[in-house]
Amino acid sequence: MEEQKDYRISFFKPTTEFSKINRNLVIVLILIWGISVFGFQILLRIMEKPTPEKTLVTFERVWENVKAGNASTEEKVEFADCVLSVLGKSTLAAKPDKKAALNNALSWVVYDLMANDSLRSNFIGEISSFEKRRSELSDLKDPEYVSAKAEIINKVAPILNLEDYSLKAKLIPLELRSAGMESFSQENKDKLHGIMSLYLTHNQSVLTDTVFLGFPFHYFYTAVFLLILFVVLCWIYSFMIDRVHTRMGNFDKPKVTN
Amino acid sequence: MKKIIFTGYLFSTFMLNAASAVKLEGGFKVGPAIILITILVLFIAVGLMNRAKDTSDYYAAGRSISRVGSGMAIASNWMSAASFLGMAALMYGSGYHGLSYVVGWTGGYVLLLILMAGQIRKYGKYTAPDFIGDRYYSQGLRVATACVTILISLAYCVGQFGGIGLMFKWVMGLDFFWSTVIGSVVVLAYTMISGMLGVTKNMMIQYVIIIVSFLIPLFMLTFKFDYFWLLPQIGYGAAVTDIVNGIPAPAAADMINSLGHDFAILPSPEYAMPWDASTGQTFFQWMAIVFSLMLGTAGLPHVIQRFYIVPRARDARWSVVWGLFFISLLYWSSPIFSAFGKILSSNPEVGSLAPDAIVVYTAQLGNIHPLIVGLLAAGAVSAAFSTVAGLLVAGSSAFSHDLYFKVFRPDSTPKQQMMMARIATVLMAVIVTVMSMMELALIAQLVALAFSFAAVTIFPLFLLGIWWSGSNKKGAIAGLSTGILVTIVSMTYFIAGKSGVVLPAQEFMNYWLGPWYFAWIGAPLAIFMNIIVSLMTEETPYEIRKFLVEKVHT
Repeated sequence: MEEQKDYRISFFKPTTEFSKINRNLVIVLILIWGISVFGFQILLRIMEKPTPEKTLVTFERVWENVKAGNASTEEKVEFADCVLSVLGKSTLAAKPDKKAALNNALSWVVYDLMANDSLRSNFIGEISSFEKRRSELSDLKDPEYVSAKAEIINKVAPILNLEDYSLKAKLIPLELRSAGMESFSQENKDKLHGIMSLYLTHNQSVLTDTVFLGFPFHYFYTAVFLLILFVVLCWIYSFMIDRVHTRMGNFDKPKVTN
Repeated sequence: MKKIIFTGYLFSTFMLNAASAVKLEGGFKVGPAIILITILVLFIAVGLMNRAKDTSDYYAAGRSISRVGSGMAIASNWMSAASFLGMAALMYGSGYHGLSYVVGWTGGYVLLLILMAGQIRKYGKYTAPDFIGDRYYSQGLRVATACVTILISLAYCVGQFGGIGLMFKWVMGLDFFWSTVIGSVVVLAYTMISGMLGVTKNMMIQYVIIIVSFLIPLFMLTFKFDYFWLLPQIGYGAAVTDIVNGIPAPAAADMINSLGHDFAILPSPEYAMPWDASTGQTFFQWMAIVFSLMLGTAGLPHVIQRFYIVPRARDARWSVVWGLFFISLLYWSSPIFSAFGKILSSNPEVGSLAPDAIVVYTAQLGNIHPLIVGLLAAGAVSAAFSTVAGLLVAGSSAFSHDLYFKVFRPDSTPKQQMMMARIATVLMAVIVTVMSMMELALIAQLVALAFSFAAVTIFPLFLLGIWWSGSNKKGAIAGLSTGILVTIVSMTYFIAGKSGVVLPAQEFMNYWLGPWYFAWIGAPLAIFMNIIVSLMTEETPYEIRKFLVEKVHT
C-alpha cells in the first residue's frame, strides 16, 4: 500500500504544504539576496567610467614636451609633481619595475632642474651617500640620517614649489636615485605613460562619487549594508518558518537519529 | 578630520626597515604574556569542566547547546586567525577587491540557512560524511567525503598555526617551533578531554574574547582620529573618503603616529574605487570570488557540523541568524583597521604593513596602549584556537565515526568509538603540528583551495541531496568526480604557476580557474553532472525518498 505513495520531492515540485511555502519563501529571499549582491555590482560595472585624476590630466598636458626634451621649467616642475603623486601610492610598493621607472623619471627631472653643473655633480654625490646611509640604517631617528634627509628636502622642495612639510617633499629623499640621474632611459620613457594611466585612472560613477554617511556610497553598500541585509534575510526566514510551523501545528521536538 | 595631538611614544616592538614592510619584533612582554597565559589556562579549565561522557557529547555536544551559544560557537569557529589578523590586509592591499571576501564569507550563511541548516538538523546525523553516506546509500561516498573533510581540516589547521606562532613569538619571544608545540598541546588537551561539548563551550568564551579585543582598539583609534567613535563601523566612512581625497599635510601637521610621522596621505582613490586596475584585480574576479566563497561557506564540513549540536531544527536556523550577526560584528569592523592602517602607514618611511598581522600593526602605529594590543594578540590566539578545535573535532569525527565506526568496525562499542575519536584527534594534531613546523609555503597557499574545494565537492551533494530526491548514488559520484577533477586542474595550474613551470594555456587557466574561485564554474558543473547522471540511472531507493519527504521536508 505504502509503495503507492509517490515520495518524490524536488525544490521546484514540492509535494507537501510546508515545502510549497518554504519553496516560495526561499525563492523570494534568494532573489533579493542575488539581486542585492550581484545585481548591484553589475550596475556599478555598467555605470562606471574610467575617470582620470587631475594629476593625470596635468601629466598628459606636459608629457609630450618632457619626452621630446622641449619642456619649460614650469612643465618640468609639474611633471615632477605628477610623478611624486604616483610614487606616494602604497599599491606601487609591490611593483618594483614600475617604481624603478618612476624613480628614474623623478631623479632625472630634479637633476635637470638644478641650476648648474656644479650643483648637479654635488647633488649626485649627496644622494649616493644618502642611499648608502639608508641601506645601513637601523634607527629611523638616527640624527645624521634625519639631518641628511632634511638637507635634501630643503634643497629640492623649493625647486619643485613644494612646502617642506608636505608629504610629497618627504618622499623626495626616499625616491631619488643617484644611478641614472643624468638620463631618462628610453625604456622608462616608453613605460611611463602606461604607468601613470594605470595608477591615476579609476572606475567612477555617481554610485562611487555620492557620499553617504561619510562613505563613498558603493563602499557603504558593500561593506556595511549588505551585511545588515544578510542578517535581516536570515532573521526573516527563521521568523517566517517558525510562524508556518506554528500555524501548521508542527512541534519541532529534539531528536537524535543515528 | 579635525586636529588632534597624540602623545606619541615610540614602540620598541616594530621591526622597521625603510626598504621592507613593517613587521613585529618578538620579545617577552609581561602584560600581554599574563593575558595570553590566563586565556590558555581558562580554555583547559573549561574543557575539564565539560568532559565528553559519550559519543554524542564528543561529536555533537550532546545536542544541548542553546541558539545564542551555538551562534557564538558558529562565529568563533568561523573566524580564524587569518580573518582576525589578516582580513584587513585584503582591503589594505587591494582596496575594494578585499570586500569580495567580506561579502562572500557572510553571504554564504544566507544560503546555508535557507537551503540547508534546518534540513541538515532534521536529517539528524553527526557529520557531513555521515549525511552523504546515508543520503546516497554509499560507503564509497562516505569514505570519499570523510577524506575530503580530513583534507580540508588539515589544510585549514596548518594555516591557523601560522597565526598562533606569530602571536606567541610577539608576546613571549618564543620561536615558531615552541609556539607550535605549546599551541598544539593546549588545544589538544581541551579538545581531547571534552570533544565537541567542551570545544563549543570554549568557543563561546573565545568569541567574547575575540570580539572584545577587536572592538576596543577600534573605539580608541576612531576616537583618536576624531571620527564618529560611538559607532566606529559607521564613523570610519569619513576616513575612507579622506583616503580617496587625500589628507593634506597642514591639516595633519600635529598628528603623529607611534613612529613620529604625521597623518598626511596623498589622494588614493584606488583604495575604494571598484576593481581598480592598479590593484590587478578585475570585475570577473570579484564576482567569482564572492560566488565561490559563498558556496564554499555553505559546504565546509566543520561549519555544517555545527548544526548537529543544537536540540532542534528550529534552533539550527536561529543559531545561523545569531552566528551571522556575531560574524558580521567582526566583518563590519575589519575594514576599519584597514582604513586606519592605510593612513597611519602613508608616510614613505613606514612603508607597507606586512599582511600577516595588519590589525596589530595598525593598533601599534596608532599608539594604542600595549596592554590593549596584548589583548588583541589574545583575541588572535582565541580565533586560531577556536577554529583549530572545530577542525580537529570535524576531522577526528570523520575518521572515527565515518571511517572507523561506519565502514571498518560497525560493531564497535561507544567506548571504542570514543577511544578512536581521541586517537584520531591526537593523530590529526600531530600531523598538523609537523606540517606547520615544516613551514611549507605551498601548504599555506593551498588553504586558499579549501573554499572552492568544499564548494565543488560537499555543497552540490548537500544541495541536491536535500532538495531533490531524484539525485542518486551514481549522480552523486559523477558530481563529486567532476568537482574533484576541476579542483585537480586548478591545483595543477596553481602549483605550476608558483613553481615557475609553464603549462599550456597557463595564464588563461590561472585567471579563469584561480584557486580562490574555481567554484564559479566547478560547482555548477558538478551539479549539472549529478543531475544528468541521476536522470539516466536507477531511482533513489524508496526508503530514502520517504525519509526525505516525511522527516526532512514535512
